[in-house]
Amino acid sequence: MATEVLWWIFAIITVAATAGTVFSKSVIHSAIFLIGSLAGVGVMYVFLVVDFLALVQFLIYGGAVTVLILLALMVTRADPTGRPEDTDGPQKPFGVVVGGAIMAILIGVAVSTSWPNDVSDKAHGIPIDTISQKLFIDFGPPFVIASALLLVALIGAIILARHEEGE
Amino acid sequence: MSPLSFGNHIPGLWAWFDVVIRIAIVTLVMTVIVMYLTYGERKFVARVQQRLGPMRTGPWGLFQAIADTFKLLTKEDLRPAQADRWVFELAPYVTFVPVLMVLVTLPFAKDWGVRNLSLGMFYVFAALGLNIVGILMAGLGSGNKYALLGGLRAAAQMISYEIPLVLSLISVAMIAQTLDLNVITELQHRRPFIVLQPLAFVIFYTAMLSELHRAPFDIPVAESEIVGGFFIEYSGIRWSMFQLTEYGSMFAWSVFGSVVFLGGWEWPWGGDVGWGYQLFLTFLKSFIWIASILWVRATVPRLRIDQLMAFSWKVLLPLVLLQFLMNGFILVYGWPEELLFATSSIGAAGLIGFIVMRGLYRPKSPSLVGAYKQPQGSSA
Repeated sequence: MATEVLWWIFAIITVAATAGTVFSKSVIHSAIFLIGSLAGVGVMYVFLVVDFLALVQFLIYGGAVTVLILLALMVTRADPTGRPEDTDGPQKPFGVVVGGAIMAILIGVAVSTSWPNDVSDKAHGIPIDTISQKLFIDFGPPFVIASALLLVALIGAIILARHEEGE
Repeated sequence: MSPLSFGNHIPGLWAWFDVVIRIAIVTLVMTVIVMYLTYGERKFVARVQQRLGPMRTGPWGLFQAIADTFKLLTKEDLRPAQADRWVFELAPYVTFVPVLMVLVTLPFAKDWGVRNLSLGMFYVFAALGLNIVGILMAGLGSGNKYALLGGLRAAAQMISYEIPLVLSLISVAMIAQTLDLNVITELQHRRPFIVLQPLAFVIFYTAMLSELHRAPFDIPVAESEIVGGFFIEYSGIRWSMFQLTEYGSMFAWSVFGSVVFLGGWEWPWGGDVGWGYQLFLTFLKSFIWIASILWVRATVPRLRIDQLMAFSWKVLLPLVLLQFLMNGFILVYGWPEELLFATSSIGAAGLIGFIVMRGLYRPKSPSLVGAYKQPQGSSA
């Protein structure tokens, strides 16, 4: 009962923050709303009793990715005082097309997938041992390949950023 | 459900009351401790500098903290005309809430905390990572270039030092094979984890100083350079919330650090001496921890920003990865525990030796640990 009330409160907050991300006229405000939106998704994971995923969502998206976005905005010419900016440009129709297409694909996939029917109504948590077993042993090779890819991207970024030293 | 909490056996609505009461107790205790930490810090630093510190308000200045609190609460709450209203006003709350969240899972005595989470350690650094957001909001929303610079420095520093911090905690979690703070404490029955992981401890301590913006890593709030940093425009109650956050997270990190590395309520008396002694033990350890933070603040000069970043990426990160790798080898092949101690203490001795050497001898190049070099003309 109390859980349902809380769910509705957080659902409304999440949707409102997401709408704020899209409709706000200042880039800084959008970035801050984005944090709220991603943290709201994290709270949804808590309601689904997947604690680990929720904490990863807070740590990576709440604490790291959006902070990097804000940090990047600080070193650009974005107006930090939050005054409305002109956000419409010639990219507007393309944005509508891409956004609509992604939404259509996501909804289509979600509707057309045949989800397994044997799940019970009661939520139960997954112990972290099971997650690590899946991640590091059952799906070990993809994990290693993904980390190698990230390492390459990291080194590439450093080389690109440091080329002015005349090496 | 995973075996979660101390209060899980309480059914229904009473569980909510239970949580609210426990949170209220923890928050009140934290607030009082924070009030007296400001007094304690002034006294401690004054003694280090051969001064007396606050002496006039009450015996030995004991009421100074209360007087300061009243002054702050009654001061006018100013908002600059240039500020971005809601970002500016909400920033102190966004900074403070994560610290409050951390207090939920800290075990103060055996079976006494608000709730015991099975992912406790992970929860602590996930929650504490969130208060960068509030600091950035303060920096951006104030409409002041010093605040912006302070926020920028704080974010860069906290993101960089979070990596060695988290990896050093994961090194401990590898040995404990759990993230549950209560179980981690119980495992330290015979020896605290600082014995097995001195290198991880030194790295954790350094990175924690940086996360707290304490000296020598206090460049985001450096008075002489950017006149106070991200909270320059705040006054009255909002400023005091930033102070509350700073000292509250110092307290939270100290309890957390003494639980993970110093054995919390378990070592050296064991688990059945009653909660009174355990509470005393936890607080004693965390106050020693806080005193060491103040000691460092009173004696070590501030680093430059390039030195700070270089130290994180070129010294702490490789060392913590080495610790991580070494733990992996020893644990996978089941080598004896003494080997963990041996390898880690060699690493810790190396790191401390390196820091002392750098302090004693002037490096040949003006850069401390290989700072960013200016381009030599040729390429633009």
